Amino acid sequence: MGWIQNRFEENLVITSLDWALNWAKSNSLWPMTFGLACCAIEMMATGAARFDIDRFGAGAFRATPRQSDLMIVAGTVTYKMTSRIRRLYNQMPEPKYVIAMGACTIGGGPYFKYGYHVVKGVDLIVPVDVYVPGCPPRPEALLEGLMRLQDKIRQGTIARPAQPA
Amino acid sequence: MPGPACILAEGGTSLLQVLAVFAGAAFLMAFGVLVFGQLVRPRVRHPDKDAAYECGEQPVGPGWVQFDLRFYVVALVFLVFDVEIALFYPWAVVFGGGTAPGAAWEALQQIRGAALWDMLFFFAVIVVGFIYLWRFGYLDWVRVVGGRLDEDKVGATRQAPAPGAAR
Repeated sequence: MGWIQNRFEENLVITSLDWALNWAKSNSLWPMTFGLACCAIEMMATGAARFDIDRFGAGAFRATPRQSDLMIVAGTVTYKMTSRIRRLYNQMPEPKYVIAMGACTIGGGPYFKYGYHVVKGVDLIVPVDVYVPGCPPRPEALLEGLMRLQDKIRQGTIARPAQPA
Repeated sequence: MPGPACILAEGGTSLLQVLAVFAGAAFLMAFGVLVFGQLVRPRVRHPDKDAAYECGEQPVGPGWVQFDLRFYVVALVFLVFDVEIALFYPWAVVFGGGTAPGAAWEALQQIRGAALWDMLFFFAVIVVGFIYLWRFGYLDWVRVVGGRLDEDKVGATRQAPAPGAAR
């Protein structure tokens, strides 16, 4: 991690820096243009004018993982896709986050029992931060997931845990 | 001695001092941002991050591929004519059959002639480039090696490809 990570205990400078870094990270979550199946339609609707994910600073869908902070896995993940998803995730620069959108992505969904080709949850491939249930989730649900992710980012700290005296 | 250092800006500061402050501030801004980013940014290395991006596929070959140099000339020619169209079109619309109310119409009439000559001069410059391209065979995709297009010579080299004959 960075030089400053876990180097100092909590003090005025570190907590102020925490606030600034978390504010920057949580309010400019650029998602990757990455739609796998029908959930991507809802993701596109979330990006468009009616629901407008740009209100939360997450509307700049990037065409490359190198510029992205957030991977919204929107749709059924097949076994053939897993290596690609993992490679795309590896190519994203830190800090990076993953939202699992929809029932298929969370745990296989309707393909759980008979889907020979579907991965039973994208968290078997990449670490997931927020799960958004639904089949597909409405755009409001995705926005809610985004806000929960922002809450999670705002709780992060670069301070070293306090040592017992 | 009169010199740049003696020129006084407002408030009695010399111009050189002002320039020094501005240059220092510019340097500190750029350098400070770089150093700050270096200290707080996470650094996690991964071989996939150095690999070429091919939409998640395993990359085929390196990303540093040599393109044919002729594409450079094609891009240049496109740019030349693109700019020409971009300038010619509004000129033709405004000064050709355009109308304007009142005083603007008279002003339009006055600069119409000057605009024509300006545009003709610009067109002449472009035409020089176009003649150059034509003359030296950049419009032919298959280039003749070592000189301008000469049908007899081309035929001769094609029939007898002796080493060094193209020169």
